[in-house]
Amino acid sequence: MGSFRRFVTVLGASALMVGTLTISVAATSVTASAASKFKACVVTDTGGINDKSFNESAWDGLKAAAKQDSNISVQYLSSTSSADYAPNINSFISKGCGIIVTVGFLMDAATAAAANAHPSQKFAIVDDAPTVKAGTHVLALQYETDQAGFLGGILAAGMTKTGTVATYGGENFSAVTLYMNGFVAGVRYFDKTYSKSVKVLGWTPGKGTCSLAACAGSGTFIGNFTDQTAGKTDTTTFFSEGADIVFPVAGSVGLGSVAAAKLAGAGHYVMWVDSNGCESDAADCKYFVGTVAKGVEPSVEASVLSAAKGTFKAGSYIGTLKNDGTALEYGGVMIPASLKAKIATAKAGIIAGTISVNPNSYPAVK
Amino acid sequence: MSEIAPAEIPQGSNEPVDEGPVWARRTSALWVRYTSSSPIVIAALAVFLGLVFGAIIIATTTPAVLDAWRSIFHHWSGLPVAIKVTFDNVGSAYRAIFTGSVVDPQGFWHSLTTGKGWPNTLTPISETFTYATPLVIVSIGVGIAFQTGLFNIGANGQAVIGGIAGAAVGSMLHLPTILHLPLTLLGGIAGGMLCGALPGVLKAYTGAHEVIVTLMFNYVTYAFLLYAVLSTPFQQPGQSNDIGRTMDPSAILAPLFGTKSGLRVSYGVFVAAAVVVFAWWLLDRSSMGFDFRVTGANPAAARASGINGRRVIVVVFLISGGLAGLAGLVQVASTTHYIDGGFLIGNAGIGFTAITVALLGRNRPMGIVWASLLFAALGVGGRNMQASTGIPLDLATVIQSAIVLFVATPVLVKEIFRLRAAPTATVQLATKGWGS
Repeated sequence: MGSFRRFVTVLGASALMVGTLTISVAATSVTASAASKFKACVVTDTGGINDKSFNESAWDGLKAAAKQDSNISVQYLSSTSSADYAPNINSFISKGCGIIVTVGFLMDAATAAAANAHPSQKFAIVDDAPTVKAGTHVLALQYETDQAGFLGGILAAGMTKTGTVATYGGENFSAVTLYMNGFVAGVRYFDKTYSKSVKVLGWTPGKGTCSLAACAGSGTFIGNFTDQTAGKTDTTTFFSEGADIVFPVAGSVGLGSVAAAKLAGAGHYVMWVDSNGCESDAADCKYFVGTVAKGVEPSVEASVLSAAKGTFKAGSYIGTLKNDGTALEYGGVMIPASLKAKIATAKAGIIAGTISVNPNSYPAVK
Repeated sequence: MSEIAPAEIPQGSNEPVDEGPVWARRTSALWVRYTSSSPIVIAALAVFLGLVFGAIIIATTTPAVLDAWRSIFHHWSGLPVAIKVTFDNVGSAYRAIFTGSVVDPQGFWHSLTTGKGWPNTLTPISETFTYATPLVIVSIGVGIAFQTGLFNIGANGQAVIGGIAGAAVGSMLHLPTILHLPLTLLGGIAGGMLCGALPGVLKAYTGAHEVIVTLMFNYVTYAFLLYAVLSTPFQQPGQSNDIGRTMDPSAILAPLFGTKSGLRVSYGVFVAAAVVVFAWWLLDRSSMGFDFRVTGANPAAARASGINGRRVIVVVFLISGGLAGLAGLVQVASTTHYIDGGFLIGNAGIGFTAITVALLGRNRPMGIVWASLLFAALGVGGRNMQASTGIPLDLATVIQSAIVLFVATPVLVKEIFRLRAAPTATVQLATKGWGS
């Protein structure tokens, strides 16, 4: 009898297996109803869709566009390695996406190759400007974050009680160091203009000027965008060196700085980066003096909406203070009106081109 | 007579019954083989259980399915609909995995009848092979170490170093293909060997536990990776970001069907095939491989019979590291052709996947090939599933993990399916535990 039961279980198992396969192959797709809509699709880099940084912002931009225009449906694919970029993009091309948003300079080559092979396919790429053939439809979205970083520097310099502020980055490359360079420039401008002597730790600007493509210098770097413990350790070190406001440019590593500020007690603050800290981490709003924001979400939203309407223009978009592509947003800490006025003055000056965001234009405090 | 029922065969015997006609004896031998808890049966059932587990996850996390089941609380007549919705969603997810990793029957039929669209039709299977190729190579390296009773947890770091070394040879030297490609492959192997040799030597001569040393070495290699892609000789010229130099066309593993086809499956599959043959020869036909297996089975007996244990450890780590390095190089040379700061980091760490693949493939070369193809197919098909049904790619990882859990607990599988004991009593763990 035992053998018969065994026979039945094995037979049953095989039948189930075959059955599952049959169902799998025969079942109809449940998303077929979305076919008539305009599809906006985003391929994230290895940070994934919940990175509290530009991947998430790009995805939020898509969702915001879908909320505005009910004819837009949105999809995302996350990449686990750089080998996934090309197949992810191709997968979306074959799924008939109206616009494909790719995120980050690491997807430069894959985006350029796909655009060259499919000239009519619309692309928007965040934080990068790939070199593509004429006739392709690629919109490069880039942000001069040193302008907002400059305002952040003024805010930090105006708020510090100890006369020392600090910044650190995830890794030493231009998308990161541009913020830090602007931040240092803002502090130096504040010192020079208002005869103060606030010091900045964590970033020493290199000679020459910074651009979107290159921003050299030396400073404190975590080595990744994920190790919050390292962020906490480095921030605590900055606090012990006398700083009371820290500006992390390292995605979610900054949460380690928030933890350090809590530990250090009253009077220690964090300047958040990319997307408003009082929204992405609302519980810790009282520790944020402000956010140096990058307008990934609105610019992605705008490009998706224009693609859906048929008014999409390939080329380049540079986010500046002027077009709100980058901005300083205030956090949960009271800012004196006089300081806000100083920041407004500097903002107007940067937009008008009368104030330089190059730290080498101002003397460094020693 | 008809008494040759399976029940007549004594348990634990691998001798078929001497009575009855030949076909009946053969059938009963097969019967014993495929209804008992032989490793192959356990592996197949583990895969099946993994898929069932995945189906439960889909059914319990998809809002549409949950809504349908919720409705039966209002009125029982919603039950058939709820069942249908469940099967539709699970079915469309698994259908997407299948069509995204093997072939879409409709597209295949279209290509067959019209002769058009072959590249699109073949893309899924090509992608599966593209992802499986480096996985096979690194998993065989890990499997050889397992068979010797050594845990190489540092295969990922060795693959990273192999990838960097190979990419450096491939991008910084400029030679004709006939020299450049072999040198690049050797560069990958050498990088992995170097990185594998250190833990091997430390284990052999100082007794430092290889699990600790190889695991920690991963972090050293990640730091070195960032240093390499951000430093002058290796960083891509004109880049301030963490991207390494692009390899010369003479050093890459070219697509099998040409660049124009758009199919990424590369000549790397021949490299993997060569590794499979090498591993089979090494383990089953060479005296060195015999020494490995004896050492793995019983180190004390191996020592007593004159096998040089230190030599075995160092050689195994050289081979295991060398294969991991080769895998890292194959990964770069057949896909992106450059290395960036995220190379093999996190979920992309094939060196860690290799541990589970080797386990599923029972450390045997051909077993590893099948296991790699399965894991690659789940990963590649998972992408299609996410693109067409919105179910996150992570489900593929869940299924993979569940499969490994079931493979690692053969007794559980045996009980679930009420399997008899295997003829040769091979219900055992594929690897031994810590320090054993």
